Amino acid sequence: MEICDLNALELARLVRSRQTSAVEVVKSCLERVAQVDGRPGSLEQMPLSDEDKKRVHAFITLTGENALQQAEKVDQMLAAGEDPGVLAGVPFTVKDIFCVQDTLTTAASKILANFTAPYTATPVQRMQDAGAILLGKVNLDEFTYGSSNESSAYQPSPRNPWNTDRVPGGSSGGSAASVAAGEAPLSLGTDTAGSIRQPAAFCGVVGVKPTYGRVSRYGLIAFASSLDCPGPVARDVKDAAAMLGVIAGSDERDATAARLAVPDYLEGIEEGVKGLRIGLSPDYFRITYPDPVSGELLSQPLPEEVARAVTEAAEKLSAMGADIVEGVPMPNTRFGIPAYFVISRVEAASNLHRYDGVKYGLRSEAPTADLKEMYKITRNQGFGPQPKLRILMGMYVSAAQYSEQYYRRALQVRTLIRQDFEAIFDPAGAYRLDALLTPTTPTTAFKMASLYGDSVLMQYADQLTVPANHAGVPGISLPAGLDNEGLPIGIQLLGADYAEKTLFRAARAYEMTTQEEDWRKQKPEVLRGRS
Amino acid sequence: MTDYEAVIGLETHIQLNTVTKVFCSCKADSWFDPPHTNICPVCCGLPGVLPVLNKAVVEKGVLLARAMNAEIRPLSFFDRKNYFYPDLPKGYQISQFDQSLARGGYLDLPIPAAASPDKQAYTRHVTIWKLHIEEDAGKTKVSNQRRLIDFNRCGVPLVEMVTGPDLRTADEAAQYLIRLRQLLRWLGISEADMEKAHLRCDANVSIRVRGETKLNPKTEIKNVNSIDAVREAIAREIERQIREVEAGRHIEAWTLEWDEDSGTLKKMRSKETEADYRYFREPDLLPIRLDEGWQRQILADFPELPLERRARFVEQYNLPEYDADILTSERKLSDYYENTVKSYGGDPKKVSNWLMNDVLRMINDQGLNPQEMQLTPDALAEILKLVDAGTININTGKALLQKVQESGKKPGAIVAEEGLGLVSDDSTIREVCQAVLAESPNEVAAYRAGKVTLIGWFVGGVMKKMRGKADASLARQILEDLLNEKNG
Repeated sequence: MEICDLNALELARLVRSRQTSAVEVVKSCLERVAQVDGRPGSLEQMPLSDEDKKRVHAFITLTGENALQQAEKVDQMLAAGEDPGVLAGVPFTVKDIFCVQDTLTTAASKILANFTAPYTATPVQRMQDAGAILLGKVNLDEFTYGSSNESSAYQPSPRNPWNTDRVPGGSSGGSAASVAAGEAPLSLGTDTAGSIRQPAAFCGVVGVKPTYGRVSRYGLIAFASSLDCPGPVARDVKDAAAMLGVIAGSDERDATAARLAVPDYLEGIEEGVKGLRIGLSPDYFRITYPDPVSGELLSQPLPEEVARAVTEAAEKLSAMGADIVEGVPMPNTRFGIPAYFVISRVEAASNLHRYDGVKYGLRSEAPTADLKEMYKITRNQGFGPQPKLRILMGMYVSAAQYSEQYYRRALQVRTLIRQDFEAIFDPAGAYRLDALLTPTTPTTAFKMASLYGDSVLMQYADQLTVPANHAGVPGISLPAGLDNEGLPIGIQLLGADYAEKTLFRAARAYEMTTQEEDWRKQKPEVLRGRS
Repeated sequence: MTDYEAVIGLETHIQLNTVTKVFCSCKADSWFDPPHTNICPVCCGLPGVLPVLNKAVVEKGVLLARAMNAEIRPLSFFDRKNYFYPDLPKGYQISQFDQSLARGGYLDLPIPAAASPDKQAYTRHVTIWKLHIEEDAGKTKVSNQRRLIDFNRCGVPLVEMVTGPDLRTADEAAQYLIRLRQLLRWLGISEADMEKAHLRCDANVSIRVRGETKLNPKTEIKNVNSIDAVREAIAREIERQIREVEAGRHIEAWTLEWDEDSGTLKKMRSKETEADYRYFREPDLLPIRLDEGWQRQILADFPELPLERRARFVEQYNLPEYDADILTSERKLSDYYENTVKSYGGDPKKVSNWLMNDVLRMINDQGLNPQEMQLTPDALAEILKLVDAGTININTGKALLQKVQESGKKPGAIVAEEGLGLVSDDSTIREVCQAVLAESPNEVAAYRAGKVTLIGWFVGGVMKKMRGKADASLARQILEDLLNEKNG
């Protein structure tokens, strides 16, 4: 085990007690990057080499020099007896959808290829203020539109550290891959339909989608503003809890950030699950998807291995004293994706309006007769297929003549999904749950290029995560074993508004009780053969 | 010739006079500033930024809504209005659509005789169809065939207010703008200067045969930046439409641009279809919750409105409408008047006369603010009382206005200091009277012979000798006594 494989809280403890230095920590992480990451994502079209296919490719922009300077500052502060903060010397990566001052911020899109942000996103700033050290910006699906990272304009796109023929998931694929590969113990991602939890599940790490509004969105390049949640990716539950504690809280620059005090998420995190009511819903054990030809909705049960991971987790929680409540109805779960298709695309199309080639980002060099022509050519050259699909659909379903039929209806569905959650978490209701336990994803990490191109099926990878985004409630994905191909399986705990603390407690209990299980000793493929 | 009437609706954009912009902390007013000096990532719509609502915008909007008799929604929403234009950096404007700040409303607009076709004053009931908050876009300027954009104006707070098609003449439209401007300044929510685009107006104009109720295709007049120009442009457009219809042609739904220099309307574009702005709720902002407490707080000092006060002045102070109109043209002047009346306690019309003839001239000539004048309402009242009491005469009183304004001293103190008081000492005046009579034996004889109108001439002589400080009525009485005495 190397320094970079230690978890964040342990690193902070070692740095703060000066048993190691922040510089040492950063160096170790940079060394790991050099060993496993391969070439960073780039707009240059180069064929994939065999070597490329074995690497992680998490990064778009590595800010190693800057990280070392920051680390020196942390060490100097410690030497001077000052407190650099709770995450002193802990390296972290940031999904390249957050603005960081004086740093290239690409959104993995050609249209922002030359955009250097003049300000820093609030959650990034809070990490830095807590002494954490930015290692670089990591890859994602273009503008976060995807579940595999393959849509990034910056190629090679990230690969799953457990099996580099597999996708890392998405859209926070670079985040999950960088954490899983030991490049950094923490990463800041975003979750609009499952974009933190799904890649966390695929890469065998912990991913948290906080309650909507718990973490400020200031500086996050918007996808679907009413669904976007910044959140932590970490290697264990305590690190995730510590990171959320740092990035959460009200922000005068974000009117939708909650003005609720941030609890100490670590306090009582190991108190166990005795007395917690944890539900299982049959509606989370099947997936519904449209037949590609007829469009009819088909339904099928989840792969047995995935389902079993959840039921076994329930048994373990039960053994520790949780009350497991079965048969919890979540009837509107299956409408989550269709409603999401509409709402997210309406917001996305509008959010993409600002990239017009006038003020920043790409502007086509092509000679144009007028301004409209310039808009068209620039946007055609700058956007990849995923933004284009979202613009087309978003414009269509929000047009005056279709809005009632699609957009308004989708908002009604969203309300129904929210009501599903309100009913099960209602302390005076029939179920009175503290958490709902579900699989995170219908499958483990799929093969690269196996789904890409079918943006409908790709979207259905988010079926079990998107309801929490509609409802605004928090969710956490944590590793719960490996499938027969050695790929991580993720389980998910969903909670009531601002119930992150309860989720961390339950997740930590599961983590502790499975600590000695064989699968925990397995390492990602890219790290095998290391001592 | 057929008798036509015009149907006019006005769409106004009102720039609120908040210190900062509606969704960021940049300075709102940039009239005197070079381009791109009051901008930040938020108002320029950089990637990742978010709007944060300036509460003062809501508060000013509520004041206007209340003044327009509109219903204030306890819960209203922001929406995105999506369209591409280079002066709109986000590609959408944050506005309000179906659940805006206020609903309905009206203004009972007095049309003075001078602006009435048959020279009879009347009232026009103007309904309000739309009243909402929105952000302004940048300013576009065309120079040397290049389109230049200034982002300073991005995010400046606006209220958009749209009337129903209720106005019938160009004069009515002008009166509406005059009253709106007066109201905005009265409420202190906008500088309402059309020349500086604090108040912008587009006019929708159509005509129909008088007596009909249907609405015909309308044209929209844009780019008019004074009230006179609005009146002029509408009048021209009504004439044009009548000519067209009389010639058997149809009115097409054009957008017209007013050319100030030539005083003519030019066709900007045809309006084939309504643009689809794909409105949807702005997810980056919370709804505006105007609970009772906040509303009460905003409306706690809601003033009496100019038209209400105008009516009250007529009623309570017996003022002619003409006086009441001028005295309520501006809130500070109006308060000044009323404070003087209270302090004075005498005839309100007398206060009106002094104010409108003399004080208002001082205010206008010297560009004074009635609220900050050294000549306070109490001082003016004191001067009036001094005149009433005969301590000084009217001319001295009027000269005092400027003296008080310049020195800030009390009128009484100036009178004492400069010896401006009327001499009302019987014996002093009697001496002068005797001297005047002694110097004018012919006139005395003529008077005594019956030419009593000469009394004025004698009084003049006394005043002249006493350099105007004699109490004229006392002098007259003494002169009469002396003249009649010798006679008897």
